[in-house]
Amino acid sequence: MAIKKKKELDTEEKSPENRILSFPDEVLERVLIFVKCHKDRSAVSLVCRDWYNAERWSRTHVFIGNCYSVSPEMVARRFPNIRSVTLKGKPRFYDFNLVPPNWGADLHPWLVVFASAYPFLEEFRLKRMTVTDESLDFLARSFPEFKALSLVSCDGFSTDGLASIATYCRNLTELDIQESGIDDLGGSWLSCFPDSFTSLEALNFANLHSEVNFDALERLVARCKSLKVLKVNKHVTLEQIRRLLVRSPQLTELGTGSFSQDQKLRSDADLESAFSNCKNFNTLSGLWEVSSVYLPALYPVCANLTFLNLSYTALQSTELAKLLQNCPLLRRLWVLDTVEDKGLEAVASSCHLLEELRVFPADPFDQEVIMEGGGSGVTESGFVAVSEGCPNLHYVLYFCRQMTNAAVATVVRNCPNFTHFRLCIMNMCQPDYLTNEPMDEAFGSVVKTCSKLQRLAVSGLLTDRAFEYIGTYAKNLETLSVAFAGSSDRGMQCVLEGCPKLRKLEIRDCPFGNAALLSGLERYESMRSLWMSACNLTMNGCQLLARKMPRLNVEVIKEDESDDMHAEKVYVYRSVAGPRRDAPPFVLTL
Amino acid sequence: MSTVSKGRPAAVAEESEGDMVEKDYVCLSEESSSCYVGGKGDDGGAEDEEEELELGLSLGAKKATGGGGNRGGAPWRDYCRILTAEDFPSLVSRASPLSSSSSVSSSATLVGGGSAGGAASRRVIVSGLPDAAGSANPPPSTQMVVGWPPIRAYRMNSIVNQSKDNASSNAAVTTTPKKTNEKSKNITKEVIAKELEKKGGLAGNSLFVKVNMDGDAIGRKVDLNAHRSYETLAGALEAMFHKPTSALGASILVGGSGTSKLHDGSSEFLLTYEDKDGDWMLVGDVPWGMFLSTVKRLRIVRTSDTSGGLAPRLRSSKSSGGLGNVP
Repeated sequence: MAIKKKKELDTEEKSPENRILSFPDEVLERVLIFVKCHKDRSAVSLVCRDWYNAERWSRTHVFIGNCYSVSPEMVARRFPNIRSVTLKGKPRFYDFNLVPPNWGADLHPWLVVFASAYPFLEEFRLKRMTVTDESLDFLARSFPEFKALSLVSCDGFSTDGLASIATYCRNLTELDIQESGIDDLGGSWLSCFPDSFTSLEALNFANLHSEVNFDALERLVARCKSLKVLKVNKHVTLEQIRRLLVRSPQLTELGTGSFSQDQKLRSDADLESAFSNCKNFNTLSGLWEVSSVYLPALYPVCANLTFLNLSYTALQSTELAKLLQNCPLLRRLWVLDTVEDKGLEAVASSCHLLEELRVFPADPFDQEVIMEGGGSGVTESGFVAVSEGCPNLHYVLYFCRQMTNAAVATVVRNCPNFTHFRLCIMNMCQPDYLTNEPMDEAFGSVVKTCSKLQRLAVSGLLTDRAFEYIGTYAKNLETLSVAFAGSSDRGMQCVLEGCPKLRKLEIRDCPFGNAALLSGLERYESMRSLWMSACNLTMNGCQLLARKMPRLNVEVIKEDESDDMHAEKVYVYRSVAGPRRDAPPFVLTL
Repeated sequence: MSTVSKGRPAAVAEESEGDMVEKDYVCLSEESSSCYVGGKGDDGGAEDEEEELELGLSLGAKKATGGGGNRGGAPWRDYCRILTAEDFPSLVSRASPLSSSSSVSSSATLVGGGSAGGAASRRVIVSGLPDAAGSANPPPSTQMVVGWPPIRAYRMNSIVNQSKDNASSNAAVTTTPKKTNEKSKNITKEVIAKELEKKGGLAGNSLFVKVNMDGDAIGRKVDLNAHRSYETLAGALEAMFHKPTSALGASILVGGSGTSKLHDGSSEFLLTYEDKDGDWMLVGDVPWGMFLSTVKRLRIVRTSDTSGGLAPRLRSSKSSGGLGNVP
């Protein structure tokens, strides 16, 4: 029985014979609707022409990990029915000021194309994009069905842009601007939500500095009965939180404002009862300026907490211990290193289901502390303690000032399921402080033991040996971040040769040169991007790469008056859209 | 400009450094490493300053006291070592009175790398700080290299602000480690907060801006909120960028009091800033609070580079009527 090739899927006019013989496209499309994960969808689209077409018609969400890898026109051409777009822009090192401002990743060209291609677009989830107030205004007016806007680590806009969103997006369900560099011109934007507006489900303005009108906020919360996520900024006081909770006991995620002494709070009991009424909390964050005397008010909601974000709260170990005793179901915990090793021991004894731990430094630059010998922050013993009490740990981000190879080996022996291992020994190039050896063996043990490792960030004194280990063992590694490490080109070569699933490689201040760069010639097209700054690359090397691999964009950032030979910052990424047309003068595409 | 002046690994700088006779430090190792494409390319004497700074602020290994074992396979490390207080007991300090912002005080421990010991090297980045330390062997600091440790600027500002809040608040806040108290001793948070409230509600936040200096590839950052006047800012910047061999010690010119300072040659450096509109202005012309609200980043410019005056590159804000209005 011959299977006839289907015609271009543009039409329902297929002859009945075709329908009987082949799997109908419509059915295939209906089935594919249930395939959500974008990696799976990519796989589906590669099966055959029919599946490619069925996939493109049935897809409603597109994920673009690098906004310059494709053009908005191409996206619109291929996918006719998109409702939700995720876009990521600048290289991650932009967050650490390694990428100059005005580099690009402007949202606007995307909005212009999508306004006509997808008039019913509902969601934008953006990371490290440049978004202006004009763009936000355009967005608000162009998409009548618009529902969810999430801006992570974006910049270029002000609270005026938020006012446009609040004013015109009648169906808005989500507004989340976490960690975005916003120009805060005042809190009046919140008052722009019309009184008839009731659809809000998630609101996060935790990083804004100026005060919003509390009455407007309270009324908004009161009338949005579906509100599940509310993360307010520091200005919201304890008493105001209490009032908000009274209005919205259905919340599942709360980001408190300031949790410090508030004269207006009538009584602690009132606060506790407001929290007690909330039976559905699973996430708690905020807690700026915590007065520990109020922490017990949280205990009623701790029982069901799965995510506790204390990374803006300078808690001491005893306070944390008491709090955590009430959080047996915790899966994700973010803390400041003010809790010290003792605090981490408390984590180990209370939170056996813990899967993710992030420890941020309260004072990354404080030298006094070290010199006084008091030692602040966390050390290797806290790390080991957590690993002993939390066998399910698979994600760690750990900032510390000292570490040993033995401790890391112990940690991964206790927790062999790490998928994300990001260790930052804050003093650059620091060896194992007990043996004075490089930290090669530590990361060696990580990659040898944790076969599921997807993301790794290394630090400390590292030679090429560490990279040999990574290349040999880290077969599932997708993202690698390297700084101040390695001894020669060989280090980078090992990684490029040995890690078949590598997608993102970001390197700064390492002695890797042109030979290393060119050794990855075959690899870069299967990766999302490569970033190398302050290494030993020259313009010649980069030009050679560009010439040999025409489908890569090889960009060099040249900031100051400089020597022409050295390539200070290099960003290489695959693209089907060709070289950037909006590159600023300091970005040279080779 | 020298090839080495762009924030490259210190090894390259060191290597050329070793060639210079005037240097009075002892390089740990003088063999050149072959893995540095692009070579030294320095012009000799004129580039001393860049390399000195380069070393001080870029990579550094903890002192390799273990001997050979540490160095195996890592000759590069030998070059880029940050000297600890052991090497320069007279120059390591606790908090400088100028620099209550931790970012600046940390530069106190940034010293040129490479020497096996002794106070031989005078290539110290920070000058004039009281030698309060004398402590035995503090581990190397987190240098003021741009973007290290890798914490998002947003979080950094929030965290620093948080510890300052805790330090100075009187409430029953038990969260304050006393160490933070010491650090913020010279700043009245309330004063800064008030100034910044004018700026639109950044009450109490720190305000890190990048500072670059001509001839120096490595950018630093300074917390403008840690200062209340141009004088302290200039002092902090001098401390940050000090090179004993240069005339920087004289002072960084903070302009604005008329052209006489510009032209009297008392300093070969000028402090400029980029404002919200992208224009480069001379620091010191406007009131401090206004400066805070428009400054985007700073740049220390060598006056000798700009023959014929700075007019083409800078706009003096005299047009706004402010003259010598340094608080």
